[in-house]
Amino acid sequence: MYEFGIKTPTSIDDVKTALGEAEDGQFLAGGQTLIPVLKQRLAMPSDLISLSRVGELSGIKVSGDGISIKAMTTHAAVAADDDVKSAIPALARLAGGIGDPHVRNRGTIGGSIANNDPAADYPAAVLGLGATVITTEREIDADNFFTGMFDTSLKEGELITEIAFPIPEVAAYIKFPNPATRYALVGVMVAKNGNTVRVAVTGAGPCVFRVPEMEQALTASFSPDSIKDGMVADDDLNNDIHASGYYRAHLIGVLARRAVAEANG
Amino acid sequence: MSTFVARNGIGESQRRLEDFRFLTGHGQYIDDINLENQTYAMVLRSPEAHADIKSIDVSEAQALDGVLLIVTGEDWKAAGYDPIPTKSGVRKFKDGSDLKEPPHHPIAIDRVRYVGQPVALVVAESLDICRDALELIDVDYDSLPAVSHQSAAIKDGAPQIWDIAPNNICLDFELGDEEAQKKAFEAADHVITLELVNNRVTAAPIEPRGALADYDAATGKYTLWNSSQNIHANRDTMADTVLKIGKDNLHHIAPDVGGGFGAKNGVYQEPILILHATKQLGRPVKWINDRAESFLSDTHGRDQVSKVQLALDNDGTFRGLRTETVGNLGAFCGTVGPFTPTGGSSRTQGGPFRFDGIYYTAIAPFTNTCPLDPYRGAGRPEGSYQMDRIIDYAAAKLGMDPIELRRKNLIPESALPMKSPMGLDIDCGNFPEVFERTLQLSDREGYAKRKEATETKGLKRGFGVCMYLECTGGGPKEEATVKFRDDGKVDLSVGSSSTGMGHETVFAQLLAGHLGLPIEDISFHQADTDATSLGGGHGGSRGLEVGGSAVTQTSREIIEVGKKIAAHRFDVDADRVAFEDGRFHVPDTNHTMTIRDAIDAQNDPENLPDDLEPGCMNVSSVFERGVISIPNGGHACEVEVDADTGSIKVDGYWVVDDFGTIVNKMLADGQVMGGIAQGIGQALLENIVYDESGQLVTGSLMDYALPRADDIPNMVIGYYEDAPTQKNLLGVKGAGEAGCVGAPPAVVNAVCDALKEFGVHHIDMPLTPERVWRAIQDAKSNN
Amino acid sequence: MPAITVRVNGLEVTKEVEARTLLSTFIREQLKLTGTHVGCDTSQCGACVVTVNGMTVKSCATFAWEADGAEIGTIEGLSEGDDLHPMQAAFREHHGLQCGFCTPGMVMTAVQMVKDNPDIDEAGIRHGLEGNICRCTGYQNIIEAVKTGAKAMRG
Repeated sequence: MYEFGIKTPTSIDDVKTALGEAEDGQFLAGGQTLIPVLKQRLAMPSDLISLSRVGELSGIKVSGDGISIKAMTTHAAVAADDDVKSAIPALARLAGGIGDPHVRNRGTIGGSIANNDPAADYPAAVLGLGATVITTEREIDADNFFTGMFDTSLKEGELITEIAFPIPEVAAYIKFPNPATRYALVGVMVAKNGNTVRVAVTGAGPCVFRVPEMEQALTASFSPDSIKDGMVADDDLNNDIHASGYYRAHLIGVLARRAVAEANG
Repeated sequence: MSTFVARNGIGESQRRLEDFRFLTGHGQYIDDINLENQTYAMVLRSPEAHADIKSIDVSEAQALDGVLLIVTGEDWKAAGYDPIPTKSGVRKFKDGSDLKEPPHHPIAIDRVRYVGQPVALVVAESLDICRDALELIDVDYDSLPAVSHQSAAIKDGAPQIWDIAPNNICLDFELGDEEAQKKAFEAADHVITLELVNNRVTAAPIEPRGALADYDAATGKYTLWNSSQNIHANRDTMADTVLKIGKDNLHHIAPDVGGGFGAKNGVYQEPILILHATKQLGRPVKWINDRAESFLSDTHGRDQVSKVQLALDNDGTFRGLRTETVGNLGAFCGTVGPFTPTGGSSRTQGGPFRFDGIYYTAIAPFTNTCPLDPYRGAGRPEGSYQMDRIIDYAAAKLGMDPIELRRKNLIPESALPMKSPMGLDIDCGNFPEVFERTLQLSDREGYAKRKEATETKGLKRGFGVCMYLECTGGGPKEEATVKFRDDGKVDLSVGSSSTGMGHETVFAQLLAGHLGLPIEDISFHQADTDATSLGGGHGGSRGLEVGGSAVTQTSREIIEVGKKIAAHRFDVDADRVAFEDGRFHVPDTNHTMTIRDAIDAQNDPENLPDDLEPGCMNVSSVFERGVISIPNGGHACEVEVDADTGSIKVDGYWVVDDFGTIVNKMLADGQVMGGIAQGIGQALLENIVYDESGQLVTGSLMDYALPRADDIPNMVIGYYEDAPTQKNLLGVKGAGEAGCVGAPPAVVNAVCDALKEFGVHHIDMPLTPERVWRAIQDAKSNN
Repeated sequence: MPAITVRVNGLEVTKEVEARTLLSTFIREQLKLTGTHVGCDTSQCGACVVTVNGMTVKSCATFAWEADGAEIGTIEGLSEGDDLHPMQAAFREHHGLQCGFCTPGMVMTAVQMVKDNPDIDEAGIRHGLEGNICRCTGYQNIIEAVKTGAKAMRG
C-alpha cells in the first residue's frame, strides 16, 4: 500500500468537512473491496475518510410500504434483520449470500452499490426492487443510479446515506455463483408489485441491467413459462474464463424462471 | 498420564502430537520466524512471457532510502554461479541422445521466458520500501513471440524458446512393447480412441512459499529456513551445484510447513537468491511470496494432452492399450519436471487390468509458462484418468456395462505376483475383491431410489467408478536416529519431512509401540540437515514406506542392543533374551528388566558387555527401499447434474484402498479425503489458464477456484488390509497421493453416466457448468 | 501515526500504528501473535480470521486503526493453558487439521459460528465455512469437528 492519511468523522457534517480538507479523499465503508485494491497499489488516495463512526449512517427502519437501510449497515445486519426478513425475504437472503460470513460482517450496502461491481449482488436488489438511493445531496432512482462498470451517477464527494426499498408483493433473487469468488456469475432479481414487474440482472454484463422483454411478459402473466429463451441478447454480456456471454444469456433465462417460481412460492 | 500405544504401534488412530501447537496458534511457520537485524526481500517478476532484456536500470531504486541491495542477471553472471540442474530420472531421448537441459539460473539472464520469472531481487529495510523500489526499477524488454500450449509448441514455425531444443522438444519417451500392442490391436474386434486433456493445476498450499537466510561471516556458514519439502537434496543442489559453497556450510531447516503437495519439493530460485544476498549484506534476509506471486511462480502440475486407444473384443476382453501424450514442461526443466509426463505417467499404464500389449509414448516440450514439477501423484493421476476414462468411453460407445468391463478384465489374485507390461513389480493385492467391496460400500442396491429422488428434483444422477493402480516413489533411503536423553525424553529424528501428514505422530507412535515407551516421551525432529545426515524429504507417498520402515529398523536395532544389556545383567546368552511390551525377559526365569532400565544402564560401562560402548542404545539406522510398492483401490462416486445450468454436485463418495498395513487409520483417512478433495477440485473447478501470448489469466483466488466446504461431499473410506507388502518393514503401500489419483476419473465417469441419455460421453476437465451445459446442447443438436 | 488501544484476548494494549497497517500485520508483527496467518492477498482464504467485538473478520482486509477501542480475539486466546477450548479439542479428536495453516482461521470461525447459532446443522456449517479454505483435509473432518465442538459448547 502507498501511504495515506486517515480521517474518522462522527457525523455527516464532519464527513463533508473531512472530504473538503483532503487533497484526494476516498470514503472507506466496510473496506472489503477497497482494502484489497489498496494492497495491490491500484489506488493512491491522499486520505481515507472512514464512515464507520458516523452513527447516523447505520440502521434499518420500516415504514408503511418501505424499508430504509442506512448506507453503513452491514450485509450481516441486513441478512439477520427480522423486519427485512418478513417484509422482503428476498433481500435478506440476497444479503446473506454475499461473499462469506466475514465479508458480510464488514461489507456495507452503501459501499457495495457505490462501488457497483458488475458481479455484486446488491445492485440487482436495488434495481430489481426499484429502490431509491438517498445521498447527501438528493434522491436517485435506481434506474438512474447504475451507469456503467464500477460507475454510478454519484458526483464527486456525494455520499450515499440510505437506500429506500419499496416492499414488493413478491420477490426472489437467484444467484449462480462464480465458483472462485462466490460473486454472481449471473444473479437475477424478480419483483412484482401490483401491475409492475421488475427483472434485474447482475454478473452478466458490465453493469446491472433490467430486462424489459421479460418484465412485459411477466406483467402479462407472472409465471415461469412467460420467460422464453432469447429474451436477452448475448452480444453485450461478459465473456471471461468462467463463462461466455452466450452461456450467461442462457443462465439469465433459467434463473429468471426459477426466481419467478420461487416468488410464486 | 502416560499413554502407551499398541504393540508395534500399528493399528491405532493415535491423535496427533503436533495438533496442540497448531490449534493454539503456536505453530512456527516460515513467516513466524524473525531474526535480529533482519532485512526483507522481494522479487521483481517478468511481465513478459518471452522477451529480450535490453537493459535494467536500477539506479532510482538503488537510491531509495532503505534499499540495501539489488541483484540482477548481470550480477549473477558476474558471480559465476552454475544453473539449477534437473534431477529428472528420465534423461535420454528414445534414440539414446541426452535430454535438452537449458541453463536454469535463479534470475533471468538476458532473456525472460515466462511471466513471473525473477528479473531482479530487491533487499531493503522493510517490505514497503521493497515495494517502492520494485516500482522504480526500469526494465526495457524487447518482446518476442511466445507459445503457451504444448500442442502449439511442437508445431513447425512455433516460437523457439531454446536454441538447443529444436521444435521446443526437451525429451521424448516410450515404454512398453509396441509390437505386442500393434498385434493386440489387429486381433481385437474394436479399437476405441479418446483424446483427453489433463488440465493444468496448481497445488496452492495455503501457506505461500518463503525463506529466511542468515550468513555467519565468522564461521562461513549459512542457515536457511525454508518452507520446503525436501531439505537434504535441495541443500546439496543449492550449496554444492549452484552456489558452490559446500553443502557442509549450509544448514537447511524446514520449520512447520503449511502444505506442499509436491509444489514445495523442487529447488526454487528465491532461496538461492537470498543466500547470495545474506552474504553480500552480512544480515539475515527474509523473503515471503504473496498469493499472486504463488500463482506465477509455484511450479504447476499435470497439463498433459493424450490420445488414448483401447482395443477390446466383442465380449469385452481388453487386448491392447496405446497412449500418446504431450506433456507441458514450462520454460525450463523443473527439478524433476521432465520425468512426470514420461516415466511418471507411463508406469501405471493399464492399471490393474490384463492386456496383451501396452505401449506408451510421450513428447515433453518447453513453453513460455511457469515450469511444471510434481503435484500430488505426478503422472499416476494422469495414467489412471486415461485408463478409467477410456473404459467408460468404450463402454458407452459399444453399449457395454462399465462395471462389467472392469470386472471382466481385472487381474485376478492368482496372477500375482507379476511383472506388469510396464515393468512394475506387482507383488500382492486382490483387485477383484477390492472392486467388489467398493461397489458394496457404495450401496448399489440403494442407487435406484437415490436416482428417483434426484429426478424428482428435476436433476440427473450418475454413478462412476475408477479402479486405480498406483506406485510409490521419491527417495529410496531414509535415516531414523534415536537418542535417549538424560531427562528421560527420547529424541527421534527422521530425514523425511511432513507438511501436514502427521509424521510427528505416526513415527512417534511406531517408536513408542516398538519399544513400549510412552508416546509423550518422544520428541520428534525432522527436516533439519543437522538432525539427520540424509533425508529423502517428502514425495511419492514415501513417508511411512521408507521413513516408517527406518523407524522400525532403528527400533529393532535398539532392542537387539537392549537384549545384550539384559543378557549381561542376567549373565545369559543374548539369544535367550526376549522382548515384549517394553520388557526384556529370559523365558522360564524370573529375569526381567524394562526398556527404561536398559536405557538407564546404557551409559555406565559397568552395565555393558565388552562389545558395547556407553550410549550404545542411541542408534541411527538407514533403511533403503528395494522396490516401490503398489497401492491400489476403487473409487465410486455419485453426482447430481442440473442439465439446465450444467452445475454438478458430488453427492456421494466411497473408496476402498489397499494400502497394505494401516498404521494409523485416522491419518490414512485424512490423506485419502484430502486427496479426493484435490481430485474433485481438478475434475470440476481448478484450471490454470494462460492465454496464447503467455499471460497467466488465473492469477489469483478470484480466478482460480479452490474447493470450499460446500463443494466436497462426505466420503466413506474402507481398507483392504489382507495384502501387506513384503517390500518394506511395515507392509505399507503408500497412501498420500491415492485420493487424487482415483477421484478425477470417478467424478468424470459419474457425470458422463448422468448425461448418457443425451449422448454425452466425454467432457474435458474441469467440468465447469458451461462446459457441461454446452456438451448437452452439442449432443442434442447432433442427435 | 495514530495510537490505538485494543483489548486483545482480554488484555488491553496501546500501540502506535501506521495508517496502512492491516489488523493482521498489527497482530502478527506488533503483538507477536503469529497464530493468525496470511494465506492470500485478495481476502479469499480466511487464514487470517479473528474476532472483533464478537464478529469474525478477515484481519487482512481490516485496518488496525479501524479496531481502535475494540475487543479482539485471536487463536492464542482460546485455550486456557493446557486446556484446549472444546472446539480446539474437537478439531484434534476428529483430525480436522493437517498442515495447520488454515486452522486458526477455521477454529475462530467455527467458535463464533456456534456461538451465534448453537444448533447449527451440517449444511449451515458448510455454508458458514464459505470464507475459509483448507487445502489438506477435504473439509469432512472439519465439519465433524465443528459438530462435536458445538455439542460440547452447548454443554
